[in-house]
Amino acid sequence: MSHENVLEVRNVWKKYCRQLKRAMWYGMRDVGRQLVGSRTLVKPHEALRPGEFYAVRDACFDLPRGQCLGLIGPNGAGKSTMLKIINGLIRPDFGEVRIRGKVGALIELGTGFNPILSGRENVYINAAVLGLKKKEVDRVFDQIVDFSELSEVINDPIRTYSSGMKVRLGFSVAAHLQPDLLIMDEVLAVGDIGFRMKCFQHLNQLTEKGVSIILVTHAVSMLPRVASRVVVFDRGQIVFDGDLEQGISLYEQKLSAKIEQRAEKVSLKSQVEGAIETVETCDEFGSPKTDFRTGEKLCLRIGIRCTEPIPKARINVSLSSPTTEVITTTATVQQGLRFDLTSGLHQFLLEFDNLPLLVGAYFFNLSLFGEDMGDFHHRRMAVGTFRIVGVDTDGGKLGNTVSGIVRIPNRWTKLEASPKESAAS
Amino acid sequence: MTDTSSNPTVATSSSESADLLLRRDHTETVYNSEPEISRPLQLLANVFRSAWEGRELAWRLFLRNLRGMYRQTALGLLWIFLPPLANTAIWVFLHAQRVLEFSFPTDIHPTVYILTGMILWQAFVDALQMPLNQLNQNRSMISKLNFPREALLAEGLGEILFHTLVRTLLLIPALLYFGANWSAAAWLSPLVALLMVLFATGLGLLILPIGSLYQDVSRFLSVGLPFWMILTPIIYAPFTTFPGNLLNWLNPASPLLMCSRDLLLLESCGNPAALWYGLVAIPIFLLGLVVYRLSMPALIERMTS
Repeated sequence: MSHENVLEVRNVWKKYCRQLKRAMWYGMRDVGRQLVGSRTLVKPHEALRPGEFYAVRDACFDLPRGQCLGLIGPNGAGKSTMLKIINGLIRPDFGEVRIRGKVGALIELGTGFNPILSGRENVYINAAVLGLKKKEVDRVFDQIVDFSELSEVINDPIRTYSSGMKVRLGFSVAAHLQPDLLIMDEVLAVGDIGFRMKCFQHLNQLTEKGVSIILVTHAVSMLPRVASRVVVFDRGQIVFDGDLEQGISLYEQKLSAKIEQRAEKVSLKSQVEGAIETVETCDEFGSPKTDFRTGEKLCLRIGIRCTEPIPKARINVSLSSPTTEVITTTATVQQGLRFDLTSGLHQFLLEFDNLPLLVGAYFFNLSLFGEDMGDFHHRRMAVGTFRIVGVDTDGGKLGNTVSGIVRIPNRWTKLEASPKESAAS
Repeated sequence: MTDTSSNPTVATSSSESADLLLRRDHTETVYNSEPEISRPLQLLANVFRSAWEGRELAWRLFLRNLRGMYRQTALGLLWIFLPPLANTAIWVFLHAQRVLEFSFPTDIHPTVYILTGMILWQAFVDALQMPLNQLNQNRSMISKLNFPREALLAEGLGEILFHTLVRTLLLIPALLYFGANWSAAAWLSPLVALLMVLFATGLGLLILPIGSLYQDVSRFLSVGLPFWMILTPIIYAPFTTFPGNLLNWLNPASPLLMCSRDLLLLESCGNPAALWYGLVAIPIFLLGLVVYRLSMPALIERMTS
């Protein structure tokens, strides 16, 4: 194990079974196998029993000291299973995990809290569960209470606390663990925005002190505040390991693909007169393109086939991202346009100049209407998926990356002090 | 750097950091698929080390449960006394009303006899069910955090011993009132009771893997325990004739319970089988600990918290 690494994950495989009865029986057999000490010598792909699949397959990654790694992926991709293996709760079926130093887990905040007891007593209990000795807690007790901003109610029973207060206390205890490796699962969405900022700041301080952090989250927009690298899981496999922006964009693309699959099933097609046949993103010259940079021009080519004429047709379009939902909508009627469609194929072009979107994946929902409100013909969901892969600026060398979902044009001016104020000072 | 052995492997070389809390001990932990049992001595050492590391947590949890119970009840400690007291009262009443014609040892009052038996039986039953109860009550903690699992057992044992001790206080007035045969052998009684609790905990640990996966076990226990109590000589003197006397050997609750009670009240160990049960009690308990440790990861995998 190299000395800079706090964690090394090597070819880890983990089986899982969703069927309850089978899982119980396999559980018995696995316990039995542990007791008699038999080893599984077969290769991973031969070892699955009926009803089983690999929740984690052939995972490999390292984590150097002081780095914060985001672990992202769609639901059921194997992130939490991976965390459980790293935390030593369950054992890999193949492969190996090596950890240098103490591991702290921030999985469920306030584990072991007893609602009857006071906040003070619960801090000691919670800390003991997390592996802190009483002496160590004594030393940081005031810091914990200060951080949680609960010093006035610390002697009241926990059950009088609001849920936010409980979570704050839980985070404060866990945040003062100071392990070599901190594992966090979906706990970033803690408390109000002020407290959340404090948590981010605290996490950044931890990494500066040399604590490595693994962070599982679906709130990818928060990741850039703390993480410097992402590992993307999909169906048990690591599909990406590296740069934050690329990883997040890939993850959102995976999500869009999922939405697309679901959308195919719900796509409404009430009448056969007209159907949205093709939706495609292209560049300004009309050639198909799915990867764009912020500020570029994006064109959406739409093909509609009619079997019957549709008088005064209109098209509604919404632009969405898998994580933030609808970003904007547009419709032909906004330009006062209605089309009298005859039978046959019709092409439409929707142009976006200077696309203000930032790194991520996006898609469109389109609907075709006739003259009236209820005159609905066809809807396509999650089509024309495209990615923004980078910002068209100097790449953040001067610390001026733009984060969020859109870049809004703006202008800076330094105001000259008025003569009166200058005189006063 | 150590070789690739089973989990947690401990290497050395600690280095003190400027920050007091920020202990940078470079202990290396390895998790892989190699069965821990392939190194039995290492495994036993791991069990004991883990139990030692969990001592403070066990104490915290013990205090938590005790205080929690106190503050939430008006009668507090009385709830510890009540079950054996109520049980004893019923059987003594039925006996006094001549509803039941049970025989009792001649030189001891039935009340004292039944009460002692009840207190011991309660300890046996609590110990038998403790591992499964602890696992079920702390499911979310177990399935999300890695802490010395042995702490839960230590805490459970602590609670059982505390309750038994408190209940024993009931015996003092009963013994004074109804009279007792004080003897030197009585001092061995608590020791045998302790062996009985360890033995029962060991049995509880051995059924834990099945009990955690299949609810049938806890259902079976709740149905079977009342019958089991009737088959244990608590409310009557032990059988001396065939085939009833076979129960003195075959009923795992009988030998140590009888021995502990009879040492206290009748100056002798009432059941020769107690020697054998006493001898295997600690090995069974240790075996239980090993099974507990080894089965935990496979159980957590199937746990819905």
